[in-house]
Amino acid sequence: MTTEVTAAGKPFVHVHSAHCESGVTASLFRDKGVEISEPMIFGIGSGIFFGHLPFVKMAGVTISTFRSQPGAVFRKAAKRLGGKFKTARFRNPKKGMDELRRVLATGQIVGLTTNIYWLSYFPNRFRFQFNGHNVVVLHEIENGFRVSDPMLEQPVDCSAEDLERARFARGPLEPRGFMYYPQSVNSSPDLRAASLKGMKDTCNMMLKIPVPIFGIRGMRYLAKKIVRSPEKLGFMGACRELSSVVRMQEEVGTGGAGFRYMYAAFLQEAAELFASEELARLSGEMTAIGDIWREFAVVSARIIKQRGQAEETFEKAGGLMLVCAGREEQLFKDLAQAVGKLKA
Amino acid sequence: MNVREVPQDITYYEGKKRACYALNDEGKYVIVTSSGWEVEAVVNGLAVDEMAAALEATRQAVLAGAKSPLCYHMERRQMTPEILGKTARLAAFRVKRHLRPDVFAGLSPSVLDRYARALAVSREELKTVPQT
Repeated sequence: MTTEVTAAGKPFVHVHSAHCESGVTASLFRDKGVEISEPMIFGIGSGIFFGHLPFVKMAGVTISTFRSQPGAVFRKAAKRLGGKFKTARFRNPKKGMDELRRVLATGQIVGLTTNIYWLSYFPNRFRFQFNGHNVVVLHEIENGFRVSDPMLEQPVDCSAEDLERARFARGPLEPRGFMYYPQSVNSSPDLRAASLKGMKDTCNMMLKIPVPIFGIRGMRYLAKKIVRSPEKLGFMGACRELSSVVRMQEEVGTGGAGFRYMYAAFLQEAAELFASEELARLSGEMTAIGDIWREFAVVSARIIKQRGQAEETFEKAGGLMLVCAGREEQLFKDLAQAVGKLKA
Repeated sequence: MNVREVPQDITYYEGKKRACYALNDEGKYVIVTSSGWEVEAVVNGLAVDEMAAALEATRQAVLAGAKSPLCYHMERRQMTPEILGKTARLAAFRVKRHLRPDVFAGLSPSVLDRYARALAVSREELKTVPQT
């Protein structure tokens, strides 16, 4: 945690976060005086999810995701907490940068969606063409901006040129200079009602989407696909697919174990909020599931590292994922029941 | 995951650290920084190595005269002809054509400048590839 000063002269506390979008949203709320943690935002915004998109390919491998689509956490959390946000996209990069400078000059900190490749303050090996990274800009400095990137321990400087490229990068999921900042925020939001909405939404997304690639069904589908993958794609191809799954689970912006620990942290806070033992139990169960996801990652890494001479097999990796699917299905069913009993 | 199980095996983030949620001894979730996890190095390494190998193959192809330097710089920025075309405001089929060395050699300075700006390199750099 480090403190910075915004253009308005207000102190800004930078909090190191596990996930960019929930971290940025929490920062924007905290700047307006609402004390809220990152896991709370993540839970209220229904950030946890699973999906496997067999027909979308990025750099030759299919995409799996452990969280809801970029932008959803911010949108849902803002709505459920009663915050009015101003959002804008731009066609013209110059107008986008001018507007950013204008808003910053009023003393308001601004959330931005950027392309991670062009943010040169990141370690090189994490710079991939990915258009969904969120940062907070604190104020303008000479030739650039002071940026609070929730993935980093401290705020950093970013040159204006880099930031412009990052905001207006082209390709899949173009950010088109997307920027957002609060206009008015409910200073004492109803956390209980918001948490219930978030949990209900999450249960529906995990259990009830009638397409077999999302939620628990998506997990089962992917698990079976992993088991079959060495025959279908050859060993290297299967490794590539498997590594992309684990990368989405552990890489920058995910917070380890595919967000399961962060959701457990949310359930823990919610349990205190409602004084509910059932939620506390579910938090513990979510932690246990996160541990299995981690084991899945370890097994996958061994397969990839030892190039087929290992005792670890794709069957085992897929099997672990099936275990996760089964336990998460039960967890979200229990959660849906628990939510039904709780009152806002 | 307990706070003591948060991976600290390697320094993988070039001195930077990543936040993880883990349980402390009282069973409360807290943020703990991690310096890097072996598993992540393996899975991320696979992707990074493959990209580096592909880039090196392209560099050799450019030196051998089979591809234009534009192809090297495009791949270095992890772009595809579609993304580069959008960034430089050129049709993707033109970008693909410009990956041929003979076509690339005849490009006008204005088109080269568009590519240079899109790829954040100078016009001179754009016409060459590193020798090693």
